[in-house]
Order: sequence, then C-alpha cells, then structure tokens
Amino acid sequence: MDNNQKRFVEDALDLLNELDEGLMQLEANPIATAPLEQVFRTLHTLKGGANMFGFEHIGELAHQIETLYDLVRQGTLQVSDGLISLTLQAFDTVRDILQEKDITKMRGQEALQYHLQAALDFLQNTLPSSTYALEESSEGRLQKDILATILVRVVPAIKITEEGNHPLVFIVQDIAALGASKQHISKNESGEIDHWAIIIATTVRPAELETYFIFVEGECTFELHHLGVGNLLEDEKLHQAAEDYFHQVIDLEQLKTEAGKFAEHLPFSDKLLDGETEAETVPNRKIVNDTIIKVSKRKIDDLLNWISELIILQSRLSDINSRINSTDFNEVTEQLLLVTNHLRDTSLEIGLVPIETLVTKFKRLVRDLSKSMGKKVNFLSEGADTEMDKDVIEIMGEPIMHIIRNAIDHGIETPEERKAAGKSEHGTVKIKAFNSSAYINIIISDDGRGIHKENIVRKAIAQGLVSSEAALNDEDIYQLIFHAGLSTASQVSEISGRGVGMDVVKQKIHELRGNISIKSQPEIGTAFHIKLPLSRSIIEGLLVNVAETRYVIPLNMVDRIDRIPYQALERQNYVNKTVVVNEEPLSVLSIREEFHHDHQPPKTSDIISVTLEGIKKGIAVDRIEGKIQAVLKPLSEVYQQQDFIVGSTILGDGSLALVLDPQRIFNLSKS
Amino acid sequence: MKKTILVVDDFASIRNFVCETLEKKGYHTIGAVNGNEAYQIVIKNTVHLVLSDYNMPECTGLELLKKIKNNPETAKIPVIFLTTEASPEKMRNAKEAGLSGWIKKPYRAETFFAQIENAITHG
Repeated sequence: MDNNQKRFVEDALDLLNELDEGLMQLEANPIATAPLEQVFRTLHTLKGGANMFGFEHIGELAHQIETLYDLVRQGTLQVSDGLISLTLQAFDTVRDILQEKDITKMRGQEALQYHLQAALDFLQNTLPSSTYALEESSEGRLQKDILATILVRVVPAIKITEEGNHPLVFIVQDIAALGASKQHISKNESGEIDHWAIIIATTVRPAELETYFIFVEGECTFELHHLGVGNLLEDEKLHQAAEDYFHQVIDLEQLKTEAGKFAEHLPFSDKLLDGETEAETVPNRKIVNDTIIKVSKRKIDDLLNWISELIILQSRLSDINSRINSTDFNEVTEQLLLVTNHLRDTSLEIGLVPIETLVTKFKRLVRDLSKSMGKKVNFLSEGADTEMDKDVIEIMGEPIMHIIRNAIDHGIETPEERKAAGKSEHGTVKIKAFNSSAYINIIISDDGRGIHKENIVRKAIAQGLVSSEAALNDEDIYQLIFHAGLSTASQVSEISGRGVGMDVVKQKIHELRGNISIKSQPEIGTAFHIKLPLSRSIIEGLLVNVAETRYVIPLNMVDRIDRIPYQALERQNYVNKTVVVNEEPLSVLSIREEFHHDHQPPKTSDIISVTLEGIKKGIAVDRIEGKIQAVLKPLSEVYQQQDFIVGSTILGDGSLALVLDPQRIFNLSKS
Repeated sequence: MKKTILVVDDFASIRNFVCETLEKKGYHTIGAVNGNEAYQIVIKNTVHLVLSDYNMPECTGLELLKKIKNNPETAKIPVIFLTTEASPEKMRNAKEAGLSGWIKKPYRAETFFAQIENAITHG
C-alpha cells in the first residue's frame, strides 16, 4: 500500500464515522433533510476516493447504496430500519476491510459481494411494482449491466494531430477504454485527424457517453449509433464489417445491416436524463475557518519528547539563574520560562482530538445491542467536543464500551419491566464528558435498575472474595464489581459475559493514572465516573522534601497547605489518630513514617491537604520546596509494581524526584 | 514561471494526492477545503486555474464557479471540476456558468494533464 492509499484509509475511516453519525441522525429523524444530505454526500465522497485510490469494489458498493439514498432524496423511497441497517452493516464490513493489514485482503471482492447483492435486492423488493423505478433502473445508474455495441464517430472541428496533446485525443481514448473496442483514426496527408470511428461494446449509457463531449463541443462534432444489444465485436463477421466501414468499403447503413439490428439514431438523452435534482447540501460538518492538516502521530510524539527535554533544561537554567547574580541573565531566563510554558501548553493540545468519534461508535453499540435484546434505549451524549489524547481515546474505547454494554444488559430493564415500575418504556444511557482542572471526566450513566449491593456481597462471599463478617462500606462494595470473575446477573447473557472485563476496565484506567468510581441507587440508576489525567507526560506538582529525599505531589489534588509543629504528628500513643490542622481533625499520613522513620525528625512539618473520593486527608512532609513542572519519565520495570509511584522526574539540579500518587499511597498504608 | 493551480476538495486524501501529482508536473498548488475558502484564496492570490470538487460542504463547486465568474476580476480564471458526479444536466448547467472542463474521478493521468494544460493555455 502506498502512502496515498494509507492516507486515504485514514480519511475513509473518519468518513465512515461521519456516515454512522449521519445514519443515526437519520434513523432518529427519517424525514430530516440535513442528515440525509450528509449521508448522501459522505457516500459520494467515499465512492470518489475509493475509485481513485484503487478500491473499486468499495466504490461500487458505495455507489449502489448511494443510489438508494438518491431515491430517498427524490421521494421514491422512504427511510426505513431495513435501509439503515443494510447501510450500517455494509460499511461495517468496509471498515473491517480498510483495517486489514494485508492489501490483497483489502482488495478482496467476496466480502462486499453479499452487501452489494443486498443493496440490489433491497431496491428490487422495495419497488417491485413501481414502473417508475424499473424505468429508472433499466436506463439509470442501477443496472449498468445492459451491454450494447455502439459506434462513436468524432470529427474534430479544429486542426489536431494524434501527438497534439489536445484533450479531445484523450477523450476519445477514454471512451475507447470504456469497454471492448475497435477504433480507427482517419488522417489527411499532413497527419491531421479527419475523424475517429470507434466501435465499442459497453454498459455505459449513451447519455453518459455524450457527457464526455460537453466541454469540447466547440472543437468537434460527434455521432453515436446504436449497433445492437450485447457485444457484437465477439462476432468475427462484425470485425470484418468494421474494417470495411473504417476503410469506406461499406457505409454506415451497411454496417448497421451487418450488425443485424437497426439502430435508432442517438442521442435520445432527453429521455434518459438522470432524475437527480440539484444538491443543495446543508451538511453539518464543523469546518470552522480553520485548515486541518494530518500529521503522523510519530512526529507529534517526537515533538512532545523534545519539548519535555526542553522543560528539564529550562528548569536547570532557572536553577543556575538563582545562583548567578546577573540582571541580564535573569531577564533572559524569565522570558525563556514564559516561552517554554506557552510552548508546553500549545504542544499538549496538538495531540488532543475530540472524543466525538468514540461517541459515534457508542451510538452504534447502543442501537445494535438494544435491538438485539428487545430493549428500548435512548443514547444521549454531552460534551462530545471534549478533547483527549488520541492514544487515550483508543485505549479507553473498549473499557467504556464494556460499561455501556453492561448498562444495557444488566442496568436497563425490558420495556414491560420499566412500565410496571412506573418508568418510561425507553431507558436512557448517557455519556457525559467534561474537563475539570487537569482531568478529563467521563460519566456513563443509565436510568436502569441500579446495582443491588446485597447481591454483590452475597456473590463475593460465596466466591470467597470477602469474609462474611467484613464491614463493607458502599465504596468497598462497588469496588468488588471490578474484581475478576464476579458477575451478578443471575442469567449470564452472551452480551456482557461473565464479569470478565470489569477488572480489565479498571486496569486500563489505572494504567492511564486515572480512577473510576461508581454511584448507584436501586431502581434509579447507576453512574460510572472515570477520571483521567489530561496529559500523559507533563504534570504540575508540589516539590516536597522528606529526609533529604525529594518527591512530587500532583498539584491538581492539593487543596491547601499548613505548617504544624512536628510533635503534633506523633499520635502513636493515642486512640484518636487524627491530627488537628487548620482547626479541623484530619487523617494524616506521614511520608517520613512510611519510608524514612529512622531519620532525625525536623521541628515542623508541612501538611498537604488533599481530597480523595470526597474525604479530606493530609499528607505530612518535612517541607515544601515549591511548585514545579514535572516531566514524567517512566520507571524501570523493577519499580513498576510500586503503583503509588507514578513515575520519576529530573529536577533542575539534575537530581531525581519520585512523583507520588496520593490515592494509592493511602491505599498502601491502609493495607 | 510556475503556474498556480488551486485544488478544492473537502476530502483530504484526494486533495493532497492531486496537489502532489500536479507539483510533480511542475505546477505550484494551493489547497482549499470548500468553495468559500477557495474563493477567498482566488481573490487574494494569483491563481491560473481552479480545480474543484463538485459536492462540498459550505459552498459547492457550482457556487464557487458562479462566484468566480461573476467577479470581473476573477472571471477569466478557468475552472475545471474534478468529480465523481456525472449528471449531464449538472454538466450542462456548469458549462453555461462558464466551466472549462469536467474531469471524472477516477481519471487517467494523460487526460487529466491534457485538460489542465489546455484550460490554462486557452482559458
């Protein structure tokens, strides 16, 4: 596959998402013209691109389906479930084909043959008795397979030679290439072309052949003569007759007689004009006076990598600056800091794309699933323009899909159940995305039957995951859902499987340094809240010092900072372990006690207050050194098991600091 | 001097492909994603030929053609449509509006270049 084809595949996959989106809208509102135009136009673009880049089979399928939507536009056909399903299924296959690694598989005809036939059948079955439609299809674009032999005679009105590079020369060649053909060029003594005669067996309609000459009308005259149905060139006798005609041994009438059929004179284009109307397209694509270019992901990763190196160098420079007493140097350093920060912010945005593509996929999923399960589900999305790292979007696709699948399978009740419970027959699954500080939030909620805590606990006890005496709070119970192998559905359906997956969901989110929490109320619904860091590589943090070791605590978690005497922390001998900070009791974790307890304690301790899952907690450190931009570097494999360390960062003086995850450090000390 | 061709297509892979093909042949190219953007470029730059798709969002090829031909300053710039559209009616309408040529996608390279060269030379 060459680069152009690769780029086409990328673009085509985007187009397919747009198509899905349009089809969803069309299904929701079958008489609206805007989505119809979008679907039509997308099919049209896809057809053009596919034909251009050597995927003619895809082009052909797009063409056939486009024809169906054209009939909808003309009011001959109505949007139906069948039509939408047929289109969705056909282009699902196209999507699969485009994602094949192997070009020969991509070119495979068989996979699309079924859908092509389905499209043709659809037309036949929908419009069996309509003479209008049959007329349309016999001369129109649908049944192109009526083969006819035609004589095309072209007489140039200007002086041109075969080598003249005039468009007409190539137009004639294009026509000859439309089927099996035999041609003759008659020239005068000086090599100028007197006329062309081409006998061609083609499925292309005469009206379409005429269009080849529209833009050279002033430069030539042409005639089309119908010689007969089928490929008459297969007959040896006609070959001879053609040669005779070319060399003026016989005239046109004799040729026609030879051809065995009398042909009417063409053109009869008036009868054959396409029924198409002018396309006043009102597509809802968002091209906001901004040109978009595609850049390879590798280049962006490269750029980000170098910018992170720049940030490290910048902080070293700032460090040196603080030790050198020079106004000039100071000024440059500060300006550089400003520029570096801008560069960092801009570069972080480059890799971000709206989660819209993902949302379209989900719409499909909800539609297909609810249909197959006999449930009625509305899918709502909010904040689809929220931007996320492209990699993260790809990683999150599966986990979110799994949650939605569960919501429909386990959450949403059947229409009868819902009615009996006094709810509307239609359930709702909603995905909401928004930014908050340095996080992306994704909330997937449903208004189904909710999670029954007792069922989970019973199951967990039965499987020996927890002891029957354990006192579990809501949070603990919901976290059990993420345990491998736990499923509460009394009948395991083939759709959401056996609870395999929720553990993977959690794992994937943790890999991205995010977290997931659940809120649920019986009979009201369930909400999964996923929180992911905006950037995967650069975080703002508080640089802290504990026993001469430096750590970074992500700034977005920090609520406030207080300094207290160290003695106030020493509560080993008390029952109440909370420490009073800012006149409030706070559960405090001392990093010194966790990792450096044998060192000489300082006089004071700085308490960093953080809010974890709604509860205020404190982290005690020796002292806070300041705010830094930490460029996250992964730790080697040996340390990757230590999940309370997010990564490391290199400081201005070249030393290393560990970046902590407050949530997990508390979990660690709990266990 | 290199001749400048404005390539208008909302589908990036085709636009890029056409631009690259033309650049290889020694033309200078500018890309635009719809008729409105194209028209802005035409009135602000020296463009020798406009090669446009027919079906585009915002402003279609036909609308672009009409804008160019109705502005005395740009009316002389030849416009060619490069499209999968093949309706004779549309082709006739476009010709009446001043279109110089209609190249169907997929095209043969020779025909493509001959039409472009012809349009640039003869208008």
